[in-house]
Amino acid sequence: MPTSGTDKSEPICIELDDVVAGYGELVILNHLSLQVSRGKVTLLIGPNGAGKSTALKTLFGMLPVRHGRIRLDGNDITGAAPRDLLTRHGVAFVPQGRNLFGRLSVYENLELGGITLGMKTTRERIPEVLERFPCVKNRLHSAAASLSGGEQKQLEVGRALLLRPKVLLIDEPSVGLSPLVVQDVFLLLRALADAGTTVLIVEQNVRSALKLADEAIALASGRHVLHRRADELLSDPDLDRLFLGGTRAAGPIP
Amino acid sequence: MADFLQLFISGLATGSIYALAGLGFTLLWQTSGTINFAQGEFVMLPTFALLAFSAIGVPLPAAFALTCVLAVVVLGWGFKRGIADPLLRFGSMPVVVATLGLSIALRNGVRAGYSAEAHPFPSLFGDDVFRIGRVAVTSVDVGTLAAALVLVLATQAFLARTVTGRAMQAVAQDTTSAVVLGIDVPRMIFYTFAINAILACAAALLIAPTYLAKFDMGESLGTKAFFAAVIGGFNNSRGALLGGLVVGVCENLAAAYVSASYKDAVALAIFIVVILVRPQGLVGQRVERKV
Repeated sequence: MPTSGTDKSEPICIELDDVVAGYGELVILNHLSLQVSRGKVTLLIGPNGAGKSTALKTLFGMLPVRHGRIRLDGNDITGAAPRDLLTRHGVAFVPQGRNLFGRLSVYENLELGGITLGMKTTRERIPEVLERFPCVKNRLHSAAASLSGGEQKQLEVGRALLLRPKVLLIDEPSVGLSPLVVQDVFLLLRALADAGTTVLIVEQNVRSALKLADEAIALASGRHVLHRRADELLSDPDLDRLFLGGTRAAGPIP
Repeated sequence: MADFLQLFISGLATGSIYALAGLGFTLLWQTSGTINFAQGEFVMLPTFALLAFSAIGVPLPAAFALTCVLAVVVLGWGFKRGIADPLLRFGSMPVVVATLGLSIALRNGVRAGYSAEAHPFPSLFGDDVFRIGRVAVTSVDVGTLAAALVLVLATQAFLARTVTGRAMQAVAQDTTSAVVLGIDVPRMIFYTFAINAILACAAALLIAPTYLAKFDMGESLGTKAFFAAVIGGFNNSRGALLGGLVVGVCENLAAAYVSASYKDAVALAIFIVVILVRPQGLVGQRVERKV
């Protein structure tokens, strides 16, 4: 059984129950069960291949669930398509890497971010999103590909925020960014959670992310091995072993 | 000089039709990875549909509208559901082979089932000749060039200035990111198939008066439209326009100043040079392949 150092009274937002998923014949999530608290930043950690990104993609309906159930606020969302999750359940996803439409302008990228809302609502919300990202605001008519890596990631997050999501799934936001920009992105995620958004983040930069997160869930070989408060885990001397994997990684931290 | 200008303008008119068909190539490739080697036959079929509607007394504008509807259903939806969707999951190559087969089947189907003869087709723009100084320009060339340019530019304006058009561009640039934003990817892909079908109908209307309605009229057109799209840049819809005009003008000039026998080789020669020197096309963007 995975260890848990979290408060059981926290309301559950996301629940994966015995989920099996993967790519083709390759099974990555191996009867994964986990719970994510509402309005918190929860960090998914684990060695490469543990299934962190796959868990986010499965949650967002980009990979089929072969077994098990996924629930959001108690509602079964197993098999829901990304578009349904965005429009009906308030779940937004910022995948790993660069996900902008580089030949379209910054403003056009933002408009597409709100395509499920309708253009009237989207255009009303764009100024509100831009207030959070002044550097993006100044380059509205530039091609998205011309933005720096940090600006691109901010635009991606901004695009997701147009939907005012209840749940934000974000995969490796720090990849390719300078430490200062990473800090800005993390502060933004913290602010979102403080305002009530549930944030589930996958991040290789574990120590920095643990400072931001409320809770951490560790995966190994597609299974849940630990769920603890982030500050407790940060001070745990066994953190590196857990993050990097190893022979004992599948077992609970003592 | 006057001859040169006449040939140039006439080449632009022919090239603008290559551009129309070539634009369809680039749209299908960008949004769905489909290469349609039956594109020429997609122009030939509406030509015969237009003739059939005209034969039962339907006025040309109404016949064109009906042909467009029919083309969207058969050459848009039917082609997507029947050939592209089932085969694309195995990559682009099965679609290439299937559309090559489709082009042969359509050509020979029309020859065997309808007629092997060339049928005259009414001209939209009359037979007038304008003189500007010593340069004589036909109303057909001017009308064809203007109509084709309007259609290509209108398509580009739709892609660039409407939210639906930009969503189609988004699907073309990064399908996964489009899914993440909730863009209805299958619908956007269908729209490109529908636009391709309508562009093919327009090309039929413009090219048939000059080249006549014949079962094999699409053979050369499809090949040249493909060359035009690659020469301009397969991943840039503006490239199809440029490539079409370049091919049209060069083959017209080569036919006049070199030999008419070499006319059909010009597009191939430019295609080979572009592939060797600038494989992304004249205005296409270099794409890095992920390993």
